[in-house]
Amino acid sequence: MPASATRHRVSAGVALCAIASLTAACSGAGPSGAAADAKADVKLVDATPAAAGQLDRATWLIAKEPTNLDLSNDDANDQSDLIMANVCERLNQLEPDMSVGPGLASKYEWKTPTQLVFTIRDNAKFHDGAPVTMDDVVWSMQRNATDGNSESDEFPNVQSFAQTGPHELTFTMKQPDAVFVEALAGNAGLIQERKVVEAQGKAFGTPSSPDACSGPLKVKSWQPGTSVVLTKADGYRDPAKASKVDEITFKWAADDAIVNSLVTGSAQGAYIDTISSAARLVRSPGLTVSQGPDTRVWSYLVTERGGLADPNLRKALSLALDREGVNRAAFAGLGQPWKEPVGSGAWGYEKPTFQAAYDKLPGSPAKPSEADLAEAKKLVSAAGATKPIVVASDSSSIRNTLANALVDAAQKIGLQASIAQIPTVQYGDFYDNPDLRGQADVFMDDYYVSKSDPVGFYKNGASTSSVQWVFKDPAYDKLVLDGRAALDGPARAKIAIELAQRWADAKPWISAILSPSTVALSSKVTGVPASGSVRYYPWAADLGTKG
Amino acid sequence: VAVLVRRLGALVLTLLVSSFVIFAGMYAAPGDPLTFLIKNPEDRTPDRVAAVRAAYHLDDSFFSQYLSWLKGVLHGDLGTSFVYKQPVSDLMTSRLPVTLTLVVMAALLFVVVGVLLGVVSALKRGTTIDATITGVTTFLTSVPNFVVALVLVSVFSVQLEWFDVAGSGEGFGDRLHHLTLPAIALAIGAFAVVSRVTRQTMVEQQSLEHVDVARSFGLPRRTVVRRHVLRNSLGPVVTMCGLIIASMLAGTVVIESVFGLSGVGSMLVESVNAHDFPVVQAILLYMVLAYMAVTIVVDLLYPLIDPRTLERSAAA
Repeated sequence: MPASATRHRVSAGVALCAIASLTAACSGAGPSGAAADAKADVKLVDATPAAAGQLDRATWLIAKEPTNLDLSNDDANDQSDLIMANVCERLNQLEPDMSVGPGLASKYEWKTPTQLVFTIRDNAKFHDGAPVTMDDVVWSMQRNATDGNSESDEFPNVQSFAQTGPHELTFTMKQPDAVFVEALAGNAGLIQERKVVEAQGKAFGTPSSPDACSGPLKVKSWQPGTSVVLTKADGYRDPAKASKVDEITFKWAADDAIVNSLVTGSAQGAYIDTISSAARLVRSPGLTVSQGPDTRVWSYLVTERGGLADPNLRKALSLALDREGVNRAAFAGLGQPWKEPVGSGAWGYEKPTFQAAYDKLPGSPAKPSEADLAEAKKLVSAAGATKPIVVASDSSSIRNTLANALVDAAQKIGLQASIAQIPTVQYGDFYDNPDLRGQADVFMDDYYVSKSDPVGFYKNGASTSSVQWVFKDPAYDKLVLDGRAALDGPARAKIAIELAQRWADAKPWISAILSPSTVALSSKVTGVPASGSVRYYPWAADLGTKG
Repeated sequence: VAVLVRRLGALVLTLLVSSFVIFAGMYAAPGDPLTFLIKNPEDRTPDRVAAVRAAYHLDDSFFSQYLSWLKGVLHGDLGTSFVYKQPVSDLMTSRLPVTLTLVVMAALLFVVVGVLLGVVSALKRGTTIDATITGVTTFLTSVPNFVVALVLVSVFSVQLEWFDVAGSGEGFGDRLHHLTLPAIALAIGAFAVVSRVTRQTMVEQQSLEHVDVARSFGLPRRTVVRRHVLRNSLGPVVTMCGLIIASMLAGTVVIESVFGLSGVGSMLVESVNAHDFPVVQAILLYMVLAYMAVTIVVDLLYPLIDPRTLERSAAA
């Protein structure tokens, strides 16, 4: 996945469910009462309880076929990441609690503020039995940093890198860069076997090609259109973390088919993308549903069209928005009303500090009180004459609900707003097409960052950002640079919090709902993380039987 | 033979025209393929965008894009998928068996059941059985097939657990088992049409002179029905079944999605959404081709059913 830092997802799969829900047989949002009950059963945890025993085989469902298993390729998708997280290893490793721990490198150290030294393990083996050599490590880094590779944008501050000892890799930096260390737990830090990748050439990552990695599971087969099968790798470097599942088969299906397969027990688990469909799973005996922190948040992205050019209007809308109502209607109560554009999964360090700062963020109530509405009206009158606001929606139920909620909020505080329908196939163009942005003041998207660091998201508030169009603040731009350079956790957290406050004050996006990472498991199996770490953490290796 | 050559000529011409229309349609559709080629908006720097646009010839004129595609096809190269980076022909060959098996099963089902119901209603004309068959099949036809599909899944897969909920199975027997419910859902709408056409033509035939004559010779009823009524009714029934099969080949989209089948239909939806031009183009051409192939087969069957049609076309 080609997403270095962040990616938005174009949810095309929702449309069919929207048709199907007319019949009430679809697994979509249930009645709100049932959904509220559903919520009570769901636990917010980093991981499901550890497995007791070895599992011989499991079937795991995903929303789509992976497009390519070469993670450095722009064509790889979310499903490629989810599968290959178990197969490939990075210099660092993202842990289930979203912190960054050691991966193929046993440790790293900032020798000087611009000298970053990694110690590479000497006992790791690729899946064809060859040892992981320093040559492979350096070559992989070169591949990841090459222009055109989806991760190359993670290396802006890297001047050079080279082998500096028998097991030592040293990056020489133009300036200190804390975010780079986190990026090396993602696809920027991917280590693959040079011989295999070069031998496959253009075919690398397609169904016929073997994997070139060293993780606890390996790719056994990819039958296009049918399944991807992983098996336990022999002689994984850390016996304690060897795979607890012998073979796991990935199959893909639409949301309702995933729900039905889990209910009938023909599959053992799935990470659920459309969380409203988990409501029926929560009520099913024989299944457990767990939720964990992720960075994914649904927000309203404000365009430069002009209807919301005044920050006071954006703040007023945020105050009047009924996030709880949206959560019930579009997410079956399984999301969380959220105040900032990045979820709690970004708190990979200094968690209590971030939580306390989040709790204090003003201006984004779960349900607007009378006082909130009064304040919002005051902001509107301070703004003077206003233009009617156009909200872009598409055929998906989540966007329709969000659009209606915003129109409702606008009307409550005396603003005019209407909804424009944009075809789903065109919706993703809002980011790049200024003409399209000229047609609407607001569009909605779920945005996530793959680095567990708020700084990794808030860089998007910079004046040069390509994903926000209304906020320009030189002081903020400087903080973004400082945040990246702050190698010390508490210092970086302080900067991140200031970024969050400035962003909240300007609201280039109005944030609505946190979409937690959600996993459904047959009650016979357990062990996998529930958090967003599954993009890069070898989660399937933890899947085993219950005690 | 001349007829066949003429038909093939028409086929090629139709393919050419439809490929152009489809290409133009995809070209004119809203949305920029670039959004899908570089998924992360933060990665869409001007340099990257320019490189990708050049690599995929997105800035070439419509005609030069169409001509280069056409040239590839004439050389047997359907192109490479934007999304999967695999040759389109590979993607098609991995998905086609599922769709074709599904259509064959559905076709067998609606032909056998539909014709049988039609024969029964014609023979029992005016009775409660006739009325019941007409009523039930009409009702089934009026229910959209995705609703039928959802009901079938919820009863037979979720409640009774007789069938798997999703997937197309591996190996021949398993595949038939997996495709049973989808085939029923696909076929059910055709029952009414086929049984009605069968009933109507049989009723007409029964009142014709040659049937009266046969009957007056004292031939047993069974022989009269089989040799005179049914045989002469086959023409319209075969035509109808052919048309239905042809449209099914292009109409598996919804059923494949509901039952989680990786067939050509679900790939079409996915490709349209992702602006995967080469794949969309190939699938739509397959659909046109399949439609025409079925109608040609029906035309070829005609003389076998009724040799008079051959004489007529020879005279013409």
